[in-house]
Amino acid sequence: MARLIRTEKEVEGRFEEVWLVVEEDALEQWPAGAREIVGKPAQRVTGPMRALGEARYTADLRLPGMLQAAVLRSPHAHARVKKISLERALAAPGVRAAVGPGDVSVLTDEPGHQGQAVAAVAADTIGQARAAVALIDVEWDVRKPLLDPDEAAEKGQLVGEASRYERGDVDRALAQADVVVEAEYRTQTVLHSSFETHQSVCEWRGDSLDVYISTQFIFGVRDEVAGKLGLPPDKVRVVCEYMGGGFGSKNGAGDYTFIAIELAKRTGRPVRCALTRREENLASGNRNATIQRLTVGAKTDGTLLALTGEFVNATGWDGWAAPTDGPMRLLYDCENVRTVLYPAKLNTPPMKAFRAPGFVEGTFGLECLLDELAAKLDMDSLELRRLNYANSTDDRPYSSKNLMECYRRAEQHWGRRDQVRARSDGPWKRGVGLASQIWYGGGGPPSYAWVRLGSDGRATVITAMQDIGTGTATAMTQIAAEELGLPIDRVDFVLGDSARGPYASVSAGSSTTPSMGPAVRAAATDAARQVLEIAAQRYDQEGRVLSLKGGNVVSSDGGSWPLEEVVGLLEDAQILGKGARGPNPTGMQVLTFGVQVAEVAVDVETGEVRVERVAAIHDVGRVINPLGASSQVEGGIIQGIGHTLSEDRLLDPASGLTLNPTFDTYKLPTIADVPEIVTELLDIPDEHLTNLGSKGLGEPPIVPTAAAIANAIRDATGADVRSLPISREEMLRALREARERERKKHGAPTAV
Amino acid sequence: MELLQPSSLDDPIPSNSLLLSGGTEVVPLLRDGLLDADVLVDVRGIVPRGIDGTRIGAGTTLAELEVDSAIPDALREACRLAASPQLRNMGSLAGNLLQSTRCWYWRLDFPCRLHGGDTCHARAGEHREHAIFGNGFCASAHPSDVAAALIALGATMRTTKRELAVADLYRLPTDDDRSLTTLEPGELILELEVPQPERSTYLKAMERRRWSFPIVGVAAARTGDERTIVLAGVAPTPWVLDSPEALADATPLPGTAYKVEIAQALVRRVLQALA
Repeated sequence: MARLIRTEKEVEGRFEEVWLVVEEDALEQWPAGAREIVGKPAQRVTGPMRALGEARYTADLRLPGMLQAAVLRSPHAHARVKKISLERALAAPGVRAAVGPGDVSVLTDEPGHQGQAVAAVAADTIGQARAAVALIDVEWDVRKPLLDPDEAAEKGQLVGEASRYERGDVDRALAQADVVVEAEYRTQTVLHSSFETHQSVCEWRGDSLDVYISTQFIFGVRDEVAGKLGLPPDKVRVVCEYMGGGFGSKNGAGDYTFIAIELAKRTGRPVRCALTRREENLASGNRNATIQRLTVGAKTDGTLLALTGEFVNATGWDGWAAPTDGPMRLLYDCENVRTVLYPAKLNTPPMKAFRAPGFVEGTFGLECLLDELAAKLDMDSLELRRLNYANSTDDRPYSSKNLMECYRRAEQHWGRRDQVRARSDGPWKRGVGLASQIWYGGGGPPSYAWVRLGSDGRATVITAMQDIGTGTATAMTQIAAEELGLPIDRVDFVLGDSARGPYASVSAGSSTTPSMGPAVRAAATDAARQVLEIAAQRYDQEGRVLSLKGGNVVSSDGGSWPLEEVVGLLEDAQILGKGARGPNPTGMQVLTFGVQVAEVAVDVETGEVRVERVAAIHDVGRVINPLGASSQVEGGIIQGIGHTLSEDRLLDPASGLTLNPTFDTYKLPTIADVPEIVTELLDIPDEHLTNLGSKGLGEPPIVPTAAAIANAIRDATGADVRSLPISREEMLRALREARERERKKHGAPTAV
Repeated sequence: MELLQPSSLDDPIPSNSLLLSGGTEVVPLLRDGLLDADVLVDVRGIVPRGIDGTRIGAGTTLAELEVDSAIPDALREACRLAASPQLRNMGSLAGNLLQSTRCWYWRLDFPCRLHGGDTCHARAGEHREHAIFGNGFCASAHPSDVAAALIALGATMRTTKRELAVADLYRLPTDDDRSLTTLEPGELILELEVPQPERSTYLKAMERRRWSFPIVGVAAARTGDERTIVLAGVAPTPWVLDSPEALADATPLPGTAYKVEIAQALVRRVLQALA
C-alpha cells in the first residue's frame, strides 16, 4: 500500500525535507552470503555491446535532418557584452539559426567565468557552426576577476550562506588538551574528465520534446526542462541508453540542452549540441579547490578532545557548498567539534558534484591531521583511529557500521610496514599510510521497476534508470535473475528512456544500487509469484511447495517443469511484475565506511612519488556483483591517485583564464601510474536497509586515497605534505621543511 | 587547404606551404589556429627514413629508434620516454626537433613575446613548467627529450641547404628575432649523423610516469675524457651545461626553483652512470 511520509532526502551530502509516497517493502532480506547469482562475479551485460561499438551513446546519435550547434563561450573570466551582432554569423554558409543573450535563459551578456555561454549557432555541419561562431561580433567590457577564495570569504562574496556547526565547547576542550596540532591543508581544482563530453540532441515532435542526453538523471532532466519551458513533464521524453561517464557532473540538463532546444524550435530540425574537450574542461564543472585550517586537541593517550576547522571552498561563479567539513563532523567520537564553511563565489568555472564532493577534500585534511597528531604522540595511526571510534555523532544510531571490522582486516596490510620500509633503497624511501572513509550511499525512494515475463521464458526488467558506466545494469539483471530463477542471459534489462519505463532515481551519491535494486527485486518477486500461481493451477500443486530455479518451476517433492511450459500458456500475453523502493529506516543514519592502506616510494632527491600498492577495505552492505564492485574500487583509487599526484586545473593569476584545458596539459594518471590494488569488501548486509541490505559503492573508494598516500609519504620520509596535488615541487618543499625541523631538533650539524 | 605529397626533392614546394611528417605537432597547431597555411606538404616521400650505422634519416619515427639496439642509449631512452606509443609511431626525428614550446601562454595565443608581443606572461604568471636558464626574455621551456640527447651525443645534421651541428639549430629568442631555430624558410632536415660514444644516458623527471614533457631531462655522453651534459625542459632551447657546477648559475623563477634541485640530482646520477 502506498504511504505518504515526510522524510529527509540526501543526495551527495545535501539534505532536504520532502514529502514522499512510498510503498511498503514487505520482502525479507536474503541471508548473508553469495546466492545462485547475486554475490557471485558477473561480467557486464553491456560489455560486448560496448566493446563492439554497438552501444549507442548520445555522441553516436545522428537523427535525420539533424543540425549541429556551436556555442560562443566567454573568453574572459569576468566581462560584460557591450555590443553583440549575430548578423555575420547568420549569413555564413550552412547556418540555420543563431541565438544570443536574452534568447535563451542560459545565454548571458554578463559572464562571470570563462566558458559561460553567450551565444550559439546551428548549422548543417559542425565545421560550419564553429566557423559561424567565430563571426559573431562582440564588444567586451573586460572586468577584473576575483580569484582569491580567502578574499571572497572575507568580503562575504559567497554562493550561499556560510554554514556553521558546533557541538560541545571547543575552546574549553582545546585549553585542556595535552597536545594541539594545527595545520593548513589545500586541495586543488580537478576536472571530471568524462570521456563522453556533456551533450544532447533535442527534437520537437509537435508540442512534445525528445531530449537525448548524456545524463546521470533522466527524470531530473525531464523535470528541469519541463519546468523551465513550462511544459507538462510528460511532454518531455528523456533518453540515455549508454553514457561515457559523469562522476557527478551530469546531474542536470546543462546549458547545451537549453541551447539545442531553442535552436531546434527555431529551425524545426533536431539539433545536437556537444561540448568540445576544451569547452568540457572549462564549462562542465569541477571539484572545487579548498583551503582547510584545522586544529585538533587530544590527551596524551590519544583521546580526541576537540576538532575545529575553517573551510573555504573555491566554489566558483555558481554551485553549492560541498560538505568539506563533513568528515570532521561525522568520523570520530569527539565531544567538541566546531566548523565553519565558506562557499566562495569567484570568477572561475562553477563546481559540480564530483564523486563524494566535499568528503574527498575534507578527508584529506582530517586524516592527514590525525596522522600528524599520531606522529606527535608517537602513537600507532590505526590505534589512534580505533581509540576514537564513533558509535554515533548525533542521537541517531547507524543503520549499520562495520568500520571496526574494516580496521581489523586492515591490520594485515598495515602490518607490512617494516617489510615495506626495509625495501627503501638509496634515494627511494618507502612507507605505508592509512586513512578512514566515511560517506553517505544509502539511496532512497521513490524508485520503481517492472518485470515482464513472456511466453518464451525470458524476462525483461524495465525501469527508466541510467547506468553511468558503473555496471549497475548488470547488478540489476543479477537481482532479477536471482529472484526469477533464471540464468543471467535470459534476463534483458531495458533502461534509459522516460517514455518506456517507470520513475527511477538519480545515479549520484552512490545511490543507484541501493535505490533501484530493492525495486527490481520487488518487481521480480511479484512476477515470480504470478508464475507460481499459474503453475500451481496447471500442475495441480500447492503454491507454497513451488519455486523457480535454473529456468524451471520446481516442486519440493521433486517435480520440475520448464518455465517456458508454464509461461507458454500465456501465448502472446505477458506476466507483469511491479516493484517499488521502500522507505529508509526511520531515525537512522545510513553511511558507508572503509579504510585504505597505501604503500608508496619517494625519491627524496627528485621529489618523485610512486604509489606501489593500495589495499581498500570497504563496508557497503551486501555486494551484488563482486567483479563490478572491484572495478568500481579500482576506478575510484585510480581517480584518487590522479587527484593526489598529478591533476591540477591551472588558472592564469592575472586574467583568471584556464591554462591547461586539454589532456596533454591536464595530467590524468595513465596505466603506468596504476599500482597494485587489493579490494576487500566486507559484504555484510545492512539489516535495516531495504530488502537487499546493499549500500552504494560508486564514491567510497575515492574518499580516503589522497590521505592514505600523504600519510604513507610521511611514514617514508618524515615530510608533511599538505597540499594537493603532491607535485615534485610540493614534495621537495615538504622534504626541505622536514630537514629544517630535524636540524632544529638536533641542533646545527658541526660538519656537512 | 591543399595537400601536396611530393616524391622528389626536385618537386617545387610553394612558399605559402607548411611542411609536415607525422603531423603530431602541426595538425594540433593548425586546429588551434596557431599555424595557418594554404598548402600542406607531406614530406614523407622526400625525407629519408631509416637507420644506416650512425646515419639516421630525418623521417625515422621515434618508435623505430627506441627499439634499435645500435642507437646510442641516450637517444634510445629519450625516444622511449617521450610522448605516448601512438605519438611515437607517427612522430619523426626531425619533427621532434622542430616542435614548438609547450608554454601554455603561447599555446593559448596570449600576445607573448614569441607571438610578437612585448611581455612574457609566464614570468609573472603560472610558470611551474618553465625555464631556469636563458629565461630573461622568454621563460618557455624546450620540450624535446630527443634534442637534448642528440646534442649531448654531438650529432650533426644535413639539410637541403647545409650541414650543421644539432646544437646550432637552436637560438635564444631576442627582441629583434623571436625565432627559436636557425632554420630558413623552406629548409628541410634530411639526415642526421649520430656518433657512437663510449657511454651515454638520458634521465627524465615527469609529472606522471608516462606521456609527459620533461620537467627536467638530462642527457649525457662520454667518449674518453670528453663529457657533454645537455638539459631538456629548462630553457627556451636545449641547454648545454658546461660543467655540473654551472647549475649554480641557474636563474629560476619563484615557481621553477624546484627544477634546479631536480636537475642537480639528475646530473649527479648521469655522471655516475657515465663513469
